[in-house]
Order: sequence, then C-alpha cells, then structure tokens
Amino acid sequence: MASKEDFQRISEYIWEIPQDYRDDMRVPARLFANKELFDAAFGDRSVEQLINTSTLPGIVKYAMALPDFHQGYGFPIGGVVGIDPRSGVISPGGVGYDINCGVRLLASQLDQEQIEPFREDLMDALYQACPGGLGGDGRLRVSQRELENLLTEGAEWALKKGQARREDVEHTEEEGSISGADPSKVSSRAKERGLSQVGSLGSGNHFLELDVVQEVYDAQAADAFGLREHQVVVQIHCGSRGFGYQVCDDYVKSLQSAVQKYNIHLPDRQLVCAPIDSPEGKNYFGAMACAVNYAFVNRQVLAMGAREAFERVLAGKVDDFHLRQVYDVAHNIAKFENHTVDGREMELCIHRKGATRSFPPGHPEVPAAYREVGQPVLVPGSMGTASYVLVGQPKGMELTFGSSCHGAGRTMSRTEARNKVWGEDLRDEMQAGGIAVRAGSMRGFSEEAPIAYKDVSHVVETVHGLDIAHKVARLEPLGIIKG
Amino acid sequence: MTNMTKRFEEIEHTADIALRVWGKDLAELFANAAYGMASQLTDVEEVSPTHEEEIALEAEDTEILLVEWLSELLYLGERANRVHVEFDMQKVTEKELRAVARAGTVERYHTNIKAVTFNELEIVQTEKGYKTTVVFDV
Repeated sequence: MASKEDFQRISEYIWEIPQDYRDDMRVPARLFANKELFDAAFGDRSVEQLINTSTLPGIVKYAMALPDFHQGYGFPIGGVVGIDPRSGVISPGGVGYDINCGVRLLASQLDQEQIEPFREDLMDALYQACPGGLGGDGRLRVSQRELENLLTEGAEWALKKGQARREDVEHTEEEGSISGADPSKVSSRAKERGLSQVGSLGSGNHFLELDVVQEVYDAQAADAFGLREHQVVVQIHCGSRGFGYQVCDDYVKSLQSAVQKYNIHLPDRQLVCAPIDSPEGKNYFGAMACAVNYAFVNRQVLAMGAREAFERVLAGKVDDFHLRQVYDVAHNIAKFENHTVDGREMELCIHRKGATRSFPPGHPEVPAAYREVGQPVLVPGSMGTASYVLVGQPKGMELTFGSSCHGAGRTMSRTEARNKVWGEDLRDEMQAGGIAVRAGSMRGFSEEAPIAYKDVSHVVETVHGLDIAHKVARLEPLGIIKG
Repeated sequence: MTNMTKRFEEIEHTADIALRVWGKDLAELFANAAYGMASQLTDVEEVSPTHEEEIALEAEDTEILLVEWLSELLYLGERANRVHVEFDMQKVTEKELRAVARAGTVERYHTNIKAVTFNELEIVQTEKGYKTTVVFDV
C-alpha cells in the first residue's frame, strides 16, 4: 500500500508518485489536493486504485485524481486518464456503470422571495413531474424503434420530439450527442431496460434540487451564464439509468476475454479493457456512446418536467416562470478530444470517472454564448450543502486534460453514515434549517448525509487554487428531491 | 435446499457496498452471496417467495460465473419488482451453474444496486471451503 512518503510534492496542490514506484506503472500518478485532502487520502483504497490506472496500455502524461477523489471500483472516483488511441485501450471500468451520469443547471428569472409563498407547492409539483426512486418508470415510454433513434441522435431526438429547445441543446456538453453511437452493439436486455426509464432520476446519490444563487464571485462569467444573486435555479443530477448499467455490465463481462486475447496485464479485473482500435474496443465505444446519448436525453426530459412543474405552480402568479438551460455536463464518460502532450497536439481517448470537462475561454467546444469566459463547470455539493458553478481555465488544459472536480466526494461508507445518522432526524433538521425535503427512502437519505462527504469548499478551493477552474457562484439549497 | 445461515458480512467501502462471503463449497458460496445481496436490497425476512425461476449459466471462470449469477438475479428481480431470497443450488462447478431461485414482491427497498462489479474479485479456496469479497455499485 502506498503511503504519504511515496509522494513527491510538486507544488502546493500537486502530489506525484513517480513511475518507478511500481514495476507495472507506465506513467507517474498525480493527486491534485490541498494538504488537508491529501492527508485524508489514505483511509481507503483510492490511492492504490489511482496507481492501478497508470498501468493501462497507451496512457500518456500521468494518471490523475482530482480533489474530490475517493474509492470506487477499478478506477478511483475523480480519476482521469488520457490514452493514445493508436496504441492504447478503452475501459468500461474507467467510465463506470452509470455512463454519462452528469449535472444540468436550469436558471429561472425569479428571486427567492418571489417563489417563497409557493415553495412547498413547487416541491410537490417537481416531485410529481420528475419521477425518482428504485426501478421507477420515467416521464416517457418509448418504442423499440424510437429508442434506436434516441440512442443515435441524443438531444437532437429530444428536439424533434418537442422535448427540448434549441438553446438547451446548444448549452449541453457535445451538444447532447456524441457520434459513433451504434445501437447494434447494445444488448437486447439493455434496450429492454431503457424503454421505460426516459425522464427518471433513479436513486442513490441522484437528486433534483431547487437552489438559490447565494453569492457571485466572478461577475463577468456569472453575467455570461445568466446568473445573479438571489436567483432561483434548478439542478438535476442523474445518468443513463438501467440502460447504462446494463451496457457497462455486458462489456465488463465480455471484455474479460479480450484482456487475455490481447495479452493485457491488469492489477484489478474491474479495469478490464480492450484496444481502442480492436473490434471489442469499437463495439464498447459504439454501445457506450448510445448510453451517453440516453443520459443526455434523460436529463433533457427531466428538465421539461421541471419546466412543467414551474408552469403548473407559478403561471399567473409571477411574471416569468420560465427555466433557461445554463449548461449540462457529463462526469462519467470516455471520449475523443484533442490535447497537447509534450508540445504536440494529439487526439486522446479521455476517460473521466467522476470528473467534469472544464474547457477554457476561446475553446471551440464551448458554446458561443460562453466562449469569451469559458465552459460552465457544475459542482454539486453533498445533499443539503452548497453547490458551485465554476468556469474552465487554460491551466486545466495543461494540467488535467481540461478536467475539473465533479462534487464533494465521499469520505464515509454508507454503513457508517447509516449508523451515525437517522434519516428522519436529518430530514427534520434540514427542514428546520429551511430546506424542503422530498425523499423516497429514508435509509438512502441517511446514506447521503453531508457528514459522509468531504467539505465541497475544500475541493473547490483546490481547483480554484490550481487555476483549473475558477469560482463563479455558490448555490444554496431551498429544496431537495431524492430518488 | 442450501442452509440459509447468514454466511456473509458487510465490510467498509467508501462509496459502494462490499460483502465478504463464505461457503463450505461453491454452491453455498453462491447462495450466500445471493442472500447477502438480497439483504442489501430489502428486509429479506419480510419477503414471502411467490415465484420461482430456473437459472442456468455458463462462464469462462468462476469469478465471471459469480458476477453473472448475481447480475441475473438483479435483472430478473428489477423487472418484476421482486427480490430473490431462496436458492436451490442444483449444480455449481467452476464454469457452470444450475439453480432455482425463489422471489417475492417487495414493498420497500433499502437501496438500489446498479451492478455487481469485478473490483478485486477473487474466489479463494480456504481450509474450510471458499471465500470472496463482492463490491456492488450503488
């Protein structure tokens, strides 16, 4: 097991394990953290998992973990690797089961005081319009044929179906659709699971939150994103549901034989992978891209649900009840992006497992409306605590393949959280603190207690300090819907 | 019918659920893992089996077989809103499994398991039989 002494401190926020630490490492491994987060890193297996990712064939530069990192399966959560597609691999374990889990931010034109008289009604309407919970059906049920179109087209499909506005699509990472999606590479079981869940939150750490913009740090970026103090906004956090889990599950199993076939040596079976250029690797990418598109549509349909709830409760009571999409980011994904390595521009397969893309000002993939300031980076805090909106900075391209943190990051197991926190008490405490709560399972609610997570402000201070992404605004919760 | 003593324990994992499971043979190990998984999903004592399913699986090795077995139960359970709580393991070899699993409807779930992972998965033979640790993504 690696210890603190095995790391070299490169700068205030950068810690590195050299490549010669273990024979099977192909590149060094870097941890981005302030001293406090670094010191806390050794309580679970996340450092070992980070080192394991540095053994993947074709990895360039260094394996990395962002400040919200913690133990996952295979990859650490908060892990990012860049892999040369000519010689390297793609790993379903490096994306995770909830493919394109991500966050969407919608902004209203209303101040907190304007919705205050209707807050409980609004929460009820949102709870009804955005179904959550275990195995629950979504807002839409699609036919087999429609599903194929949805998987191939992503947000464009939603647009055609009247489930999106043009601006929503423009303000989504990859415009809500990645190319290369191939439904023929998806199992019938995954498709079956996908038919009924379009527009559903799911459970676990997924949520829908009603927030208020509590503080603006960067007036120019906030202005570009359409954010201002006291404004009411909505955050949606979820992914590709049973469809994505099944795609990952299918390929984690089927690629086990590819590992042998291509003579790849892995320290953990969950890192299972195949050469990007092999039939197995291409098949996985084709199926994963379908799940990426499914998740973009899922959040899009939920956004329409949130709009419906706002209209139902607020129409005739306020001047403008509309919700405008600020942005939507993925945080479990593998995709091809251009990056500069050793002064040379090259295409890389970037795996982000619990990490957010954070492109800088001027980058062509940042929507036109935001290009001058940079890409919005959405960082939800733990349940009941602050969330942050950040903006991507040039340094991120140099240090982290344009990646930033995705949340607070857990520090405590679910069992321990459950033993320390009683779900009903936590709910009462939050409600006494002015946060409206709608939750399906009290056990699930207690497992997401804020004490089980790192302090998101430490995480955000680290990425701000590293100049990967800068703080734009802080959001405080007014109401929480937990699946 | 395999003896259903709880031969598993939940162990610490930061984000997900990890179970350590024992069995005097592979059949018992697989049954105990399935029962352990069910206990994470719901209060197993409250489930009265009303349906049974025959499950037959083949895999390249025993670890894949274990993941296939648990994934199959998750899938069958999710689509019918049931949890399997009784397992009649008719045959479990290193690469092949035949079993009858009995499930009942569940009113309240504790948690949702997204998937059964291969995270450091290894089935180890001990003096007393077999043991393994399974990590579930939740």
